[in-house]
Amino acid sequence: MNLPNYFLADLPPEATLSPAMISEACQTLKHNRENYLANRSTQSLVNFLSEIAESWLDEEFSFRKFALENSKTIGFSPATLQKGLDNFFKQFTRENFHALLVQEFGDAKRLDAICSTAAEEKFSRAAIARAPEFQVHIGAGNIPNPTLTSIIFGLLLRSAQFVKCASGASFLPRLFAHSIYDADPKLGACLEIAEWRGGNHNLEESLFAEADCVTATGSDETLEKIRKQLPLKTKFLGYGHRVSFGFVAHEVLHGARAKKIVSAAADDVIAWNQLGCLSPHVIYVQLGGEVSPEHFAQLLAEELERREASEPRGEIFTEESAVIAHRRGIYEVRAAHSPELTRHFCSKDSTSWTVIYEVDARFQLSCLNRFIYVKPVADLKTALENADGVRGKVSTVGIAAPEEKNSEIAIQLARWGATRICPLGQMQNPPLAWRHDGRPALSDLVTWVDFEQNV
Amino acid sequence: MLNFPSAVAENQPTNKHRMNRELLDFAARLDKIIQGRDATPQAAGGTPRAARRVCSQREQNHQIAPTLLKTDFNPLALELFALQFKFNSAYRKICEARKLTPQIVEHWTQIPFVPTSAFKELELTSLAPDERTAVFHSSGTTEQKPSQHFHCAESLAVYEASLWSWFEQKVLENSGFRIQDSESILLTPPPELAPHSSLVHMFEIVRQKSGAPETVFIGKIATDGTWILDFDATLAALSPQAPRPAPHSLFLLGTAFSFVHLLDFLAEKNLRFQLPENSRVMETGGYKNRSRTMPKAELHSLIEKFLGIPRENIICEYGMSELSSQAYEVRSAKCEVRSFQFPRWARTQIISPETGREVRDGETGLIRIFDLANVFSIAAVQTEDLGIRRGDGFELLGRAQLAEPRGCSLMTA
Repeated sequence: MNLPNYFLADLPPEATLSPAMISEACQTLKHNRENYLANRSTQSLVNFLSEIAESWLDEEFSFRKFALENSKTIGFSPATLQKGLDNFFKQFTRENFHALLVQEFGDAKRLDAICSTAAEEKFSRAAIARAPEFQVHIGAGNIPNPTLTSIIFGLLLRSAQFVKCASGASFLPRLFAHSIYDADPKLGACLEIAEWRGGNHNLEESLFAEADCVTATGSDETLEKIRKQLPLKTKFLGYGHRVSFGFVAHEVLHGARAKKIVSAAADDVIAWNQLGCLSPHVIYVQLGGEVSPEHFAQLLAEELERREASEPRGEIFTEESAVIAHRRGIYEVRAAHSPELTRHFCSKDSTSWTVIYEVDARFQLSCLNRFIYVKPVADLKTALENADGVRGKVSTVGIAAPEEKNSEIAIQLARWGATRICPLGQMQNPPLAWRHDGRPALSDLVTWVDFEQNV
Repeated sequence: MLNFPSAVAENQPTNKHRMNRELLDFAARLDKIIQGRDATPQAAGGTPRAARRVCSQREQNHQIAPTLLKTDFNPLALELFALQFKFNSAYRKICEARKLTPQIVEHWTQIPFVPTSAFKELELTSLAPDERTAVFHSSGTTEQKPSQHFHCAESLAVYEASLWSWFEQKVLENSGFRIQDSESILLTPPPELAPHSSLVHMFEIVRQKSGAPETVFIGKIATDGTWILDFDATLAALSPQAPRPAPHSLFLLGTAFSFVHLLDFLAEKNLRFQLPENSRVMETGGYKNRSRTMPKAELHSLIEKFLGIPRENIICEYGMSELSSQAYEVRSAKCEVRSFQFPRWARTQIISPETGREVRDGETGLIRIFDLANVFSIAAVQTEDLGIRRGDGFELLGRAQLAEPRGCSLMTA
């Protein structure tokens, strides 16, 4: 597949971007938005976006095939990428878009017309949400989902968009943008994709000068730097570092159910090779079940070994392997000396997967790429005490517990500071209406216009 | 963010009350080998010297040829492994967990290695507590527990013989540099302020062995325990009041981060020196967050710019507290690429971190060293450094970094 030269990211690697090129691209985007996007109805955009998502789920779709053929480029095996794409794009249905709009705006037509919810009507109030004319997205380098979501939301809101990808991370966003261009060149013309190493002040200054709204994913340091570069009038939404973990209650650790839970835990470790901020670093397993936490670790290792055959992790950089090898070395030494405190389960002749069982329940950051800690705890309270070091930085907690206990666990986690609680196995599959880091999915991006009428 | 508590180690040597005779014998024999300067081509041009005696009288009972030819390495390595397996219980547990015992292992490449991180958690020594007269620590950040490498008089003697012999061959003899005619400026604190630094100990031994040339230590210890430079002493050393007698040269030795501190200082003060012709620099080690890092080529070019020492007179060393031998960067006769080489009593393997197997020439992997001079600790050490295999040496890439944070996952270790 030969991708035409539509976007800055399509330029050959030797091409150098200049601030003038960025400014020019921004002007063109705004102009195209005015002509081709500003007057589209939300419904027509929902139709378009759900159709594009549906195409991406079609095995014969040329862009999808091309992505899978080149999965190695972005560090995933075809099977891992395929599953990741399927789980991602299946969320973008008309129904889900509708639910999202209602959740965010109280009324699905809020972006098109002045309208009221029942509560607003009671006070003779109405409102319309005005989206930013021009959005800039600064993407991170780990997994493509957040960037793709930003593009989709941006189109839904009728914004012109400039997507700045981290170096080496533009492949999928670029391919997705081409698929949009292919389906509707006018919409594609309201989108720009570029790639450069973050911190290029000249390029970023030109870009930020044009933006009404900047969204960014990255380290706290990166976000702070971007925020400082922005004019006061520019809206900024920064999504910083987050980590996630799992919790398995003892009541569900028996028989066939335990096996299912192990398999769900493996799903979360395997999804996007654990590289997303919703992927678990640690799985806390409650003591007292038929399957002990240590046995759980062993079962998880066996499951990861089985799954390696069907959903291999794929090649990673030598530096990443070195970090895994180094970590394994530490735990191997500990396991040799205190097997009752530490056990390590490792894929043979590769670093494809690693399970570390550790009695020390303190939260431990994983080095990722399918490297998971299993830690025994007496209860959720103990788990949270041990995760105190990452409190306030936790996104998702994947839970496996008896149904009657779920609400109680959820409220405990909510009060502690987690922003998303989901079933184990679904950690990397947030729904479309997910409130990223506890913030509104869309309504953070818009400006509300209130319309008060005479009573 | 990493919490690595100490393992509960059963680390007491089995022979609690007497220095182990077999290891002492081995140390004495090795010392003789190291100082014998074998007749391989690399050493053929060297000046014969009288061997220095460092060990006990027991060595006289053994008839060991004072050479270490390639074929000798394997039996020596296997012998040392058997001794360390026997007398170092912390190590033995690791070997047993890997099911690799002296009865099974046939070649030095199969000998179980320990990661350098294990020196932080376990007392990896055959020396009983009352036999330990010195300990070297790694120079990690203050939040981390440092490595511990225990020594006794005999093990220090091997360390000193090893470091001096290779230093003399690689730094002095091959470069036409006469340390006796030079003044040494050491960018580290003096030994009395850094008793647990294997590097400072090395510098002190070099000073002593080289006939104690005029030497100044310009480093000091900051209140937080880190090494900094005494800039007054630095300036005094670089620009003495009285003119130096000819022929005279300077020899600056220090870690890469100390050189960065020095160069930053000179840049800030807008000072440049043209040090005497034939002056030398020896730089070693990584940055360990003690200064901004810079690529080696940039560091060398700044040394040339601010000190007037050309790149060909800058010697790079690779060593660590967990080892007793060092590697120096040499330009191989066959190719233009520079590679680090350990002395013949230490062997290097470059191991694929992915598969655990040795990589092919030109490929990247983790540097693993088998150092016979680590008689009383562990000879087979797995480092955290990446290198490219170049013949029997390696091109150093440095510590495998977590530095490139991947997206929104917290990766600050």
